[in-house]
Amino acid sequence: MEFTLLGAVTVAAGLMYVVLRYEGGRTNAADCTRDVWDGLVSAAVVGLVVGRLAAMLQAGTNPISHPGDILIVRGGVDTVAASLAAVVTYLVMTRQDVWWLADAAAPAAVAGLAGWHGGCLMREACLGTSSDLPWAIAQTGSAITRHPVEIYAALLLVAATVGFLWWKRHRPLSGVIAAAAVATAAVVRLVTEPMRPGIGGDQSWWYALAATIAGAVIVWRVIPDTSPVDGAAEST
Amino acid sequence: MLRSLIAAVGFTLTLAACGGRNAATSDVGPLEPIDAVAIEQLLATSDQPVLLNVWASWCGPCRSEAPLLREANAEFGDSVWFIGIDVRDRQEGAQGFITEFGLDGFTHLFDASGSVPASLGGFGVPLTFFFAAGGELSHLHSGVIDERTLALQIDELLQP
Repeated sequence: MEFTLLGAVTVAAGLMYVVLRYEGGRTNAADCTRDVWDGLVSAAVVGLVVGRLAAMLQAGTNPISHPGDILIVRGGVDTVAASLAAVVTYLVMTRQDVWWLADAAAPAAVAGLAGWHGGCLMREACLGTSSDLPWAIAQTGSAITRHPVEIYAALLLVAATVGFLWWKRHRPLSGVIAAAAVATAAVVRLVTEPMRPGIGGDQSWWYALAATIAGAVIVWRVIPDTSPVDGAAEST
Repeated sequence: MLRSLIAAVGFTLTLAACGGRNAATSDVGPLEPIDAVAIEQLLATSDQPVLLNVWASWCGPCRSEAPLLREANAEFGDSVWFIGIDVRDRQEGAQGFITEFGLDGFTHLFDASGSVPASLGGFGVPLTFFFAAGGELSHLHSGVIDERTLALQIDELLQP
């Protein structure tokens, strides 16, 4: 892993930790911070490895014959595979109380994502497609001004984090915050994707799918259970 | 926890075993030698923007970026000239690398001494130079190039 990426990872982990510490005893139980932190870090590491392996396989490189290549993260990480692996890892690690612990981690995870995108400042990788907007900026030595697309993503995710922290104070139904966090991350990616120059296939529909599934989970959690209670029929 | 870890490792290894491209017998001929003077002439007379990638078959990071460069060549090969400079290498190794990663859309040249990248202002392997038509250096990226940087710099080259 190169140092610039390591810097972005550090910013992401730092923000995640700050939000978790803030939530401990406020919107999360005071004693769950360590469990949630362990879960999030494990999920991030597994996600990174699986995403890297998926990217290598798609590129036609066998990770067994070239294990050293796994460490060259800059060679590419498949975002979809990484996200899926991270979510599954967290769910497996917190299976005793999935909804509650997913809600406990959600704002911190979104803050971590914001840190990762904001870490573009260290990686000199903030710029996207060309733009004439007043805040568009040009890279060194170029006259072409561009969207600071990663900063857009970071700001949207920071705003979402603040929103989730406020929302958690109002004690929403369990699972709703976590699903909303997944939907937010997917929508932010979907909205900013057209401003990212890329090579090869477009993964937008994966983000749309993630947002749709998360939206369906929110609806499922919010709709009240209307099935008859046992014995209700006899008592009426 | 231990069971989860074992399951994750098993899943990873299964995934890993699924892929891989084996180097077939190379149809690539010997690479044409190039030196510092010739490459500067080549760049100066190019009427297309040029992406010049410095690689070697013994270079691990070059393996990581090769698939991305192949994709970029497939997408932008009509408007950008992709040149590969193989440095301090053997012809057999070079031909195997080109075949393994399907980099036959590039114009590959052979620099046994490694003097070409130094003459262009680069150091180490891999390197990716981006030149405007006529040979003016637009950007030099040292180390493994990622998708965003590659796409951005190609976009810079193609902007009117």
